[in-house]
Amino acid sequence: MSRVRNSSKIIVSLKRVIGILGKNNKLKIGSSIFLALLVIGYISPFINRLRLGDKRPDALAVGRRWEQPSIKFPLGTDDYGRDIFGMLLIGTMYSLSIGLLAGAIATLIAVTIGFISGYKGGITDHVLRTFTDTLMVVPLWPIYMVIATYTRKLPLETVAILLGIFSWPGAARVIRAQVLSLRERAFVKLAKLNMLNDLEIVFTELLPNVAPYIVIGFINSAMGAIFAETGLRLIGIGPPLLPTLGYLLSITIGVGMLSVRPYVVAAVVAVLSLIFVSLNLINIGLEEEFNPRLKKVTGL
Amino acid sequence: MEKGTILEVKNLKVYYKTIAGDAKVVDDVTFSVYHGEIFGIAGESGCGKSTLVEGVYRIVKPPGYIAGGEVLFEGVDLLKLSEEEMRDIRWKKMAYIPQGAMSSLNPVLRVEEQMIDAILDHSNISKEEALEIAKKSLSELGLPEAVLRMYPHELSGGMKQRVIIATAYALRPDLIIADEPVTALDVVSTREVLQTLRELRDKYGATVMLVAHDMAVHAEIDDRLAVMYAGKVIEIGSVTDIFYDPLHPYTKGLIDSIPSIAKKKLIRGIPGIAPSPLNWPSGCRFHPRCPYARDICKAEEPELKEVKPGHLVACHLYGGD
Amino acid sequence: MGDAPLLELRNVTKIFRGGGPYGGKEFKAVDEVTFSMPSEPSILALVGESGSGKTTIANMILGFLEPDGGDIYFKGESISSWLKNRPSEFRRKVQAIFQDPYEIYNPVYRIDRLLKITVKKFNLATSEAEATELIRNALEALELRPQDVLGRYPHQLSGGERQRLMLARILLLKPELTVADEPVSMLDVSLRAVFLNYLEEFKKKYGISCLYITHDFNTAYYIADRAVVLNLGKVVEIGSMEEIIHKPLHPYTQTLISSIPIPDPKSRWEERLELRRLELKEIRPEKGCPFVLRCTHAMKKCEEVKPSLVDVGGGHMVACHLYGG
Repeated sequence: MSRVRNSSKIIVSLKRVIGILGKNNKLKIGSSIFLALLVIGYISPFINRLRLGDKRPDALAVGRRWEQPSIKFPLGTDDYGRDIFGMLLIGTMYSLSIGLLAGAIATLIAVTIGFISGYKGGITDHVLRTFTDTLMVVPLWPIYMVIATYTRKLPLETVAILLGIFSWPGAARVIRAQVLSLRERAFVKLAKLNMLNDLEIVFTELLPNVAPYIVIGFINSAMGAIFAETGLRLIGIGPPLLPTLGYLLSITIGVGMLSVRPYVVAAVVAVLSLIFVSLNLINIGLEEEFNPRLKKVTGL
Repeated sequence: MEKGTILEVKNLKVYYKTIAGDAKVVDDVTFSVYHGEIFGIAGESGCGKSTLVEGVYRIVKPPGYIAGGEVLFEGVDLLKLSEEEMRDIRWKKMAYIPQGAMSSLNPVLRVEEQMIDAILDHSNISKEEALEIAKKSLSELGLPEAVLRMYPHELSGGMKQRVIIATAYALRPDLIIADEPVTALDVVSTREVLQTLRELRDKYGATVMLVAHDMAVHAEIDDRLAVMYAGKVIEIGSVTDIFYDPLHPYTKGLIDSIPSIAKKKLIRGIPGIAPSPLNWPSGCRFHPRCPYARDICKAEEPELKEVKPGHLVACHLYGGD
Repeated sequence: MGDAPLLELRNVTKIFRGGGPYGGKEFKAVDEVTFSMPSEPSILALVGESGSGKTTIANMILGFLEPDGGDIYFKGESISSWLKNRPSEFRRKVQAIFQDPYEIYNPVYRIDRLLKITVKKFNLATSEAEATELIRNALEALELRPQDVLGRYPHQLSGGERQRLMLARILLLKPELTVADEPVSMLDVSLRAVFLNYLEEFKKKYGISCLYITHDFNTAYYIADRAVVLNLGKVVEIGSMEEIIHKPLHPYTQTLISSIPIPDPKSRWEERLELRRLELKEIRPEKGCPFVLRCTHAMKKCEEVKPSLVDVGGGHMVACHLYGG
């Protein structure tokens, strides 16, 4: 009986959250675009199946080399005969996956470290903070390049993990700051007077109040990972068999399409831009909602 | 002898636009302030007193807006002036000390710099002249000149507030409006600041309008005061009238509910909760909580009438019937 | 009955270090504070301005901080011992009311949650129905209509209602001691006495004692029987409320009492305040009496030797060299 009630409580609070968020235009637009991209990306294998049969779009010689755009190949083919439009579709899926996975890993680490650091305080906080700050100063790109040169065949998950592992310090600092300020508030003291233990306080009192920052941190990490992967590709670093948007961009530019068929490059850039714009809109929308919202809710 | 009127507010309305309609925060307020007096505006949270002075000083920000009325300062309607003309009046003729002013002092600048900056902002004199004015202002209020070289965090709360008052008074405005000047201060600082305000009036003939929710503050220095409830002024009178002969049931309840070391008795408070500006009660806004409410109180809003010389009240109990 | 006092602080000291873990200035927020509350239900006012250490004392009594010197005893046993051996019993007997009606609720949840958790964590009811009944009764005892208040979010209620809910929580628990830290300073003046009436009723009807912490003598006078006056972390005077108000002995207490704004236009302050060095923020002197920098009666002795609390008769104690401290 109580399990049913607990899940209905969660549904009710989710509904409430969506209700609040549904009013913000930036959030509406941003999340619609992003959702659309996500859907297109993940059903792209089916779309490609319909278009190309059994062949993957990035297999060599799917079509003839340098084919002009046509109904079958809306963006033509490259010098290896690979279907660019098909690659654009699955590239979306791969890039988004890297972003989301790296974002999730980074966020998990950031939340754990941020909470422990902020809530425990004292020496623990000091040690963790030093660790966080040190990692923050370490330059990521040289590390990525070194790793990339040692690894030729990397699966998607590994790439995501690597990107995630280095991008959590920023979010961890923000979360720690939030936890520090929340820890001193009267409702936390009251929770202690109500015999709530530390774990209960962290999960039921603090987490809901930090949640907006966690989500914003997640989005930042995801964007950072997509951006990093794309950037690395453009200078030639990254596993060659992972057909992300960055990979697509690098081969199309590399083969000279900027001058011959600029619309192809433009299409890739457009999709990348849509990803960033939509995620940014969500971020800004969230910040708009939760900063004044928190103020309104606490009556300040 | 009829004292000259320095400020006359007539039917002032300040509303706030909200999704649920207009919040009538200040709703048709009328009162006068005479030269050289300390005039208090009393009322509890939500009655509209801070918004009232923002309206008088014309610093109402959106979504608030002035929905009507006149604010006659030395005969001139401030609401009809352009922003340029208003700027000439602010600080030079009329100064405003907002709530929490002392926490807006810049912590990295010395007091001297901040006072000079403020003075230069509103006048066309040289820096040296501004410094002289600052020094004079401080000494007139009994503050040591040494304060100029200090940083805000080195000063006590009361001192910071007196510096703010000295800055506001530097250009010798005729009227000073102070919004909750002592709310965040401890008892000793409160006394310092209120005595300073009183000195402004006693020694220099300035007029002071004091907004405060703490009735004890009004008892200490006001000459006359207006009591606000739910966006309206419901009683105006001399400080003795209000404290010793309160006419409006709300004023009576308010005076009776103040704990004081001067008397020890059981206090019952005013029943009910203060209404919200989105939903003022019909007729007399106090009727849901009034022990004397009759049918007419629900239906008709009472007008502010002079019931005794200098003592006005808006209540059907004194409707002249 | 000869019981141990309900609450006893003996030479309690708390030192804070500003400036991070690598040193920085130390200051004594609470300096050898001693006072007690009897076992019979009573209301004691702990009066001091900001910086006097009163909130730090509250935090130590509630077990959020540990004293650096001296100790605090509840019913004869030290607080640290209570928290180690019988924490839920301690929490059941010692509760708190805080100052800011906006801050005491987690803005994410409805206010019911606070009351429901209280009932649940202290096993006040054996069934859901009983819990609901208990909560409704507590609300009605405080003249709050359950239908107006239950199911609401904190921002939907007024400050007065929110603070009254704190009282409802106390009523549910019926502790032996309530530590009330400035419970009415953020309420409108007309609501303050009403709130305090409840604290008085709790004492008379349920035997709940209250440590009423405030800077406002007017409200302290209204409900407290006795008062402890703090200045910069040290106790300067202890006595019955009547004596403190009408016969204050310590110069600091005298300054405070004479500076209280009285809501009576016929009794206004006459003279200007006479204190030395009024412009500066109160500095904590390294040794001697805390008030020495401002006191108009200060003697050489006051700068060197910290006065100790001396009983001048009838339980009235003062720490001042003028009285042989």
